[in-house]
Amino acid sequence: MSKTTAPSAVPAKKQNAHSGKKIFRKVEPYIWIAPSVILMAVFILMPIVTVFRMALNKVTKTGALKGFNNFENFINVVKAPAFSLVLKNTLVWTIAVVVLSTILGFMLALVLNNKFRGRKIARAIVVFPWATTLVIQASVWNFIINKDYGTLNTLLMRIGLIDSPVNWTPTPGAYFAWEIACGIFVTIPFVTFCVLSGLQSIDASYYEAATVDGANYWQKLFRITLPLVRSSLTVSTVLNIIYVFNSFPIIWTMTKGDPANHTDTLVTYLYKLGFYNGRQGEAAAVSVIGFLILLVCASVYMIYTLRKGDDY
Amino acid sequence: MKKKILALLLALAMALSLMACTGGTPDPTKAPDPSKDPGTEDTQKPDTPSGDKIDINVIAAEYGQNTKKWWADFQDEFNKTYENINLVVEVVSWNDIYTVVNTRIIGKDAPDILNIDVFADYQADDLLLPAKDYVSEETYAKFYEAFLDQSVVDGTVWAIPDLASARAMYYNKDILDQAGVDVPTTWEELTAACKAIKEKCPDVYPWGIDMTTDEGQAAFAYYIWNNGSDFTDADGNWILNDPKNVEAVEYAVGLVKDGYTNTDPANETRYNLQDLFGAGKLAMMIGPNSIPTYIADNYAKANTPKEEQINYAFAAIPTNGSNPSVSAGVMDRFMCFDNGHSAEKLEAIKTFFDFFYEDNRYSDWVLMEGFLPATSAGGEIVAASDPAMAPWVDIVGSCKFYPTAKAEWADVKQGVINAQHQALLGSNVQEVLDSLQAQIAG
Repeated sequence: MSKTTAPSAVPAKKQNAHSGKKIFRKVEPYIWIAPSVILMAVFILMPIVTVFRMALNKVTKTGALKGFNNFENFINVVKAPAFSLVLKNTLVWTIAVVVLSTILGFMLALVLNNKFRGRKIARAIVVFPWATTLVIQASVWNFIINKDYGTLNTLLMRIGLIDSPVNWTPTPGAYFAWEIACGIFVTIPFVTFCVLSGLQSIDASYYEAATVDGANYWQKLFRITLPLVRSSLTVSTVLNIIYVFNSFPIIWTMTKGDPANHTDTLVTYLYKLGFYNGRQGEAAAVSVIGFLILLVCASVYMIYTLRKGDDY
Repeated sequence: MKKKILALLLALAMALSLMACTGGTPDPTKAPDPSKDPGTEDTQKPDTPSGDKIDINVIAAEYGQNTKKWWADFQDEFNKTYENINLVVEVVSWNDIYTVVNTRIIGKDAPDILNIDVFADYQADDLLLPAKDYVSEETYAKFYEAFLDQSVVDGTVWAIPDLASARAMYYNKDILDQAGVDVPTTWEELTAACKAIKEKCPDVYPWGIDMTTDEGQAAFAYYIWNNGSDFTDADGNWILNDPKNVEAVEYAVGLVKDGYTNTDPANETRYNLQDLFGAGKLAMMIGPNSIPTYIADNYAKANTPKEEQINYAFAAIPTNGSNPSVSAGVMDRFMCFDNGHSAEKLEAIKTFFDFFYEDNRYSDWVLMEGFLPATSAGGEIVAASDPAMAPWVDIVGSCKFYPTAKAEWADVKQGVINAQHQALLGSNVQEVLDSLQAQIAG
């Protein structure tokens, strides 16, 4: 290892000492940020590099790399009949959860922004779904909709709406819809609080002025509220796209992507490939594909918002 | 300038983290073994003696709540008996064990001895020693021949069985009486029994099927084996789309389509079925010898009154026509990693296995979590000590096993589960099995 300290044998000249101090001043900030840079390198860059290496190599079932294999992992993944179905499911899952939770979360934020008795308690309650572990959330949803002992059937039978238990998940599509519902339920709090923070920063005088000018509720909503919370909404939407796209626990707990990949998303699919089929190279390839899709989405967003920023 | 320094720092950080992840320097004291694949040779780690003692480290799967305590006691007793050996047993849950072992292998820190279910992947990477190298002749002679056969690749036994479980059909006596049917022994009788139960007891599911990702391969095995077929032919070639296999899957899926089974076999695991069975909502199911313990535990936890507990028994799995009934066996193993052991260390490992398979200690191990023994002497002791286990000891000696020694097994396992799911969704069984066969056999 080479050392970067000043030479010790020769006495340092004044000028040298001065320039040494100068260099140290320049380097100093980087020394302070070095720990976080190293942490990021170890915990973010390294895994990314490892996944790319695995995706491009032949990987044995015990995880040993056996050299570059001409993108065979990617070819196998794309050629697999289940892949297009899984990709479609991932898009449906992401779009449905993000769009619906954004709309519902926005509406809830509008309600919670009003002054009413017990508003603080209501806000606290909204956090609950967010503060609970996803696996527990998903297990509870599974328990509610279960045909044989589920609480939904018990409730409906008690109040006399149905005579015998209803199978709430007769098709894979129905099961997927329940998973999306669960996903929306746990995502709403995040949107609500992002929007709420935006709403609270809007000056009340805008609304007063609009009222004086005779604007109705909808005009105020679309002309004042929406433009002013747009930045909060964009942040929550972009983060949600990433979180929901990569979400694993809900689907894994409720269906494990079954039957026959009909409820799989890319993340559950790659988990099965990696840990059930022992095809770690292909699992890494799916991971890289997901990474690239998200990278494109994030880049489009960055370019879009940066351009918008230039307009103002 | 600033950018250059930042780039330099980033590069330094990257290099440091890369170094951290490559796992240290190679050990010059270790002579390379020319017979080994160079790609896997460096995954070994030399013996590291602690003082004068020989270290043996073991990774063992956690079978249940008693496993950790059992191994801790074993370790103490062993280390007291053999003062020149330092045994360390690490008990790891089933959820993590594969990741832990693979990480240790990649980090050149493979355990000396591993207790897990599969071995073929490790063998394929040349990581294991042949069983005869680390098991004394005396201990080796104790195992059931059929069990050792399950760990053979290229004519060599690579792993030894530590315990097994077997499957049989459980039935609720009261429900069968109420429906006025005898215990079914053939598929024909089973269908008739299901029909009668559905008519007489509409609130009860007649038959339980688990085709989930957890254990769907078991369902496939029950039906094909009891239709006189198998995963492979006598030469070991895959015959997944054999007409008898197609017939077997069609029969199982037919039971679902006719409404004789639990609602969602693709998502309801065996544990869901065991719960339904214990609650008296399911009349018959195929399950392991551990079901009585499972049900009794659940009753104890829920303080279920005696009158609400079910009255049940088990019988052979129904077969198609005159085919003999076949039980499915599941077997776990011990294997020894080729970490460049010295002759002394191999002797120490032999001592470990002699100690473990000592008849009384071994039967204690098997009974600890309600499993079945893999040695005939152990079987006799278990059968004598627990009359309820006696019929199981007979069953386990003659049951069939999954072809886990074949390298394609992981793909076949997921493939047959997927095929059953597609059949449940209405696909043609012949076509999905044809496509699976083409994918596996090439």
